[in-house]
Amino acid sequence: MKFQRRLWLAAFSLSFAFAFAPKAMAWVQEGGEGSSSEKKDEKKDDKKKEDEWFAVKNADVYTGTGAVIRGACVLSKNGKIEKISTEVDIPDGAKVLDAGGLRVYPGLVAFNSNGLFGAASTDFQDTVNPFAQNLVLALGNGITSTGQGGAALKLKRGEIEGVVMRDRYLVPLTYANSNPSGKKSLVDKLEATAKYLREMREWEEKKKSDKDAKEPAKKDADSSILQVLKGEVLARFQADSREDILAIARLAQKYGFRPVIEGCQEGWAVADDLGRAGAYAVITPRDRRDKSEELIAASGTSIENAAILWQHGVQVAIIPSARGVDLGGIAGRDILALQIEAGFAIRGGMPPKAAFDAITSVPARLLGVDYRIGTLEVGKDCDLIVTDGDVLHYQTFVQQAVVDGKLVYEKNKETYYAQIRPRSESALAPEKRVDKGQQSPDEKTSAEGAKDEKKSDEKKPSDEKKDDKKGG
Amino acid sequence: MTLRTLTSTCVALAMASFASASDLLAIKVGHAETISHGRIDHAVILIEDGKIVTIGQDLPIERGIPVIDVPNLWVMPGLVDAYSRIGLEGRAGSEFTPENKAENELFPRNDDYQEVLNAGVTTLGQYPAGTGGVPGQACVVRPKGATKQEMLIKSGAYLMIVFRADARSKKMVRDAFEKATEYADKEKKAREKFDKDQASKKKSDEKKPEDKKDEKKEGSSASAQDGAAADDKQSDKKDESGGTKYTPPEPDEKTKPILDLRAGKLRALVTLFQAADWLHFKDAIKEEKFGYDLRIPMTRETDIFEIMKEVGEKKLRIVCEPEITLTPSTMRQRNLPSEFVKAGAKLVFLPRQDTIAIGANPFSGSAPMTPFKSWLRSVGEIVAAGLDRDVALRAVTLEPAEMLGLADRVGSLDKGKDANLVFYTDDPIEPMTRLKAVMLEGRVVHGEVKQ
Repeated sequence: MKFQRRLWLAAFSLSFAFAFAPKAMAWVQEGGEGSSSEKKDEKKDDKKKEDEWFAVKNADVYTGTGAVIRGACVLSKNGKIEKISTEVDIPDGAKVLDAGGLRVYPGLVAFNSNGLFGAASTDFQDTVNPFAQNLVLALGNGITSTGQGGAALKLKRGEIEGVVMRDRYLVPLTYANSNPSGKKSLVDKLEATAKYLREMREWEEKKKSDKDAKEPAKKDADSSILQVLKGEVLARFQADSREDILAIARLAQKYGFRPVIEGCQEGWAVADDLGRAGAYAVITPRDRRDKSEELIAASGTSIENAAILWQHGVQVAIIPSARGVDLGGIAGRDILALQIEAGFAIRGGMPPKAAFDAITSVPARLLGVDYRIGTLEVGKDCDLIVTDGDVLHYQTFVQQAVVDGKLVYEKNKETYYAQIRPRSESALAPEKRVDKGQQSPDEKTSAEGAKDEKKSDEKKPSDEKKDDKKGG
Repeated sequence: MTLRTLTSTCVALAMASFASASDLLAIKVGHAETISHGRIDHAVILIEDGKIVTIGQDLPIERGIPVIDVPNLWVMPGLVDAYSRIGLEGRAGSEFTPENKAENELFPRNDDYQEVLNAGVTTLGQYPAGTGGVPGQACVVRPKGATKQEMLIKSGAYLMIVFRADARSKKMVRDAFEKATEYADKEKKAREKFDKDQASKKKSDEKKPEDKKDEKKEGSSASAQDGAAADDKQSDKKDESGGTKYTPPEPDEKTKPILDLRAGKLRALVTLFQAADWLHFKDAIKEEKFGYDLRIPMTRETDIFEIMKEVGEKKLRIVCEPEITLTPSTMRQRNLPSEFVKAGAKLVFLPRQDTIAIGANPFSGSAPMTPFKSWLRSVGEIVAAGLDRDVALRAVTLEPAEMLGLADRVGSLDKGKDANLVFYTDDPIEPMTRLKAVMLEGRVVHGEVKQ
């Protein structure tokens, strides 16, 4: 009897050991196999699609993070920044842009614009016109991304893939003293939604101990406001008077969200409240608004608006007064004057770095795509501009624009600004390779041009002129 | 031989209204632009029953055959306008109606057709009314005849797709192919089931009557695209009862043209208005493969050159007006038809406007002649601006004929083709040249040539 039991035990322990040991072994094996197969896959992918390398070298790189790296190279792999350094081994086959003596900045971000993608106004993935002239003009003025119709769009030239970076990150809400019923309805919605959110969180806590806990009813909770309160999206208001701005700031503080206030002309007068509410402001430094004679308190516009808001911790984005491309009327007020507008903020006392952020990283954050664009950092999209001076200086021109590691604009090749202060060839000193695949449309079509790249590289000066005329 | 007699009787039937077909006729002409094999000087063309029997230089002519001797004239094949709505009556929409056919709008006694003939156009591709979406299938007519049957040469010449860069256009195209795939899957299942049942039937060797009824049911339910379960049951029933021959379920009328596209039985003519439309079109069709040509209106500042490289590489056929355009926002002229050809594309020309009325010309103000009558003149302008002459002549004859799937009948002066000839006083694309006579299938239908 005893013997039998022992035997049984032995059998049991054996089987036990067997049951586990192989598993452990298998796990080890699986791990090994997994990693090796992954490597294989990677190799396969390499074969399938070769990595696209692009490098801008010898430039003073203004990363937008505060760092300036002189004589550095920005290396891009498949549209993402791989390295920014003075010591970069540029891989064979990379397209190289020699920006000797020039500056590199992150591409500018227009918080809001219209008409850059042709007639597209909704369903951008299905409607954008990536050949639109306005798009080229915007690139020529340094804009590589923009917000339109609630979506964050990238100015990809000749491509429709990847134009929409993010959709519906901003929820437009109205809260104005001139519209009391609208005010009330928003407060009601916020109240109901906040209540629902509270109950929801309570329920989630309760659920852990009590499985039968009742899920709260959604009732009047608004789904988009729910997102706002959860911090998944940003609420966007339009307000200019100090009363409205104050009301929004208090509302936001009460319900615990960070408002985006567009216009914000009298924001400087209530800047501390805005700062405390963690507000974002989208302003046009050149806006004009008279002081209210009924008020003793400060009101009206101020050239210092941007500076004061910034000093109080408000994140400021800057946008020109006209959102489209306007080639008639008074020049310099449309979307193409983005950096000029930022210059007016500097005039009012805003530090240049803050003004630059106001047209790059801050609008990128407001559009919910700051993890991809807005600054030059490893891992972010390679959207950059090459300029012949300080980007905020009125004399500066964008010489080249790069979007997703592709050269999409060259000043000397386009019809728009080529004739204004052209840089001599020796100053540009681009490597021959840069021209590869970036021929003007005219050349692309001529059979010899397409076949014989050597010939196109050794263009005569007369050909160059022709290209300039016809390019576009 | 039997085939020839058959076709000639067909032609004879079709031409019943223009008196009996003549037997033999010889034409001695100064220069003949054959299109397919260059120019023949001192050409002799022998015609029998409205068809070209032979063509060559200084061929001997048997005695007794009537001869048209015109040593000072030039002759070329009748012009082919592949994209016209002359004489059609229909309401334009922008829906998905691929089953719609242009011949339903045909109005044979329209005087406009004679005007078309008078301009030397002997073959007319006619497209269904529609400003957007998928208006339907085009047909090919000869611009003469008292009835539809007399006029109609071919039905279902191409499927027209008017594509714009918008969500609706893209969805329409995507849905169309999706439905075709749905049908293909259903058909495949039905076939598999049939094969299986056949195999099992062989074993059991059972047979039951009442077959056709079920099949019909199956067809109608397939077209209705109902729940799959119901269909399966029915097909089960059908297959159990088993016919010996497999009949695929009937596709619905809107799906059939798309299936034809895939099978290569039908080509598409895709209208694009701007370069961006092309990108969105490609995005909409994805991996789908079918034959298509591109209709590209040559508007004043078109940006279509942006897609030239790709269109050239794909050797696509573009259908456009002979127009010089401007680089957008500039006054710099471009000869896009010529540039497209140099990039590798094939070219089909249309008259500048699809009207026989004397109307405003968008480029040179009021046109002195109707766009049809000045067609070759405008082609000549493009040739003067750099387009290859042979390509230009081909673009109004053989290339549109190929596009319409009628290259074996019209478009060039070759043995066996229809005797559609146009006589000119000089080189057809020279501005001083006048049109002397037009011959349609062996009969002079406009002007005069001495016999």
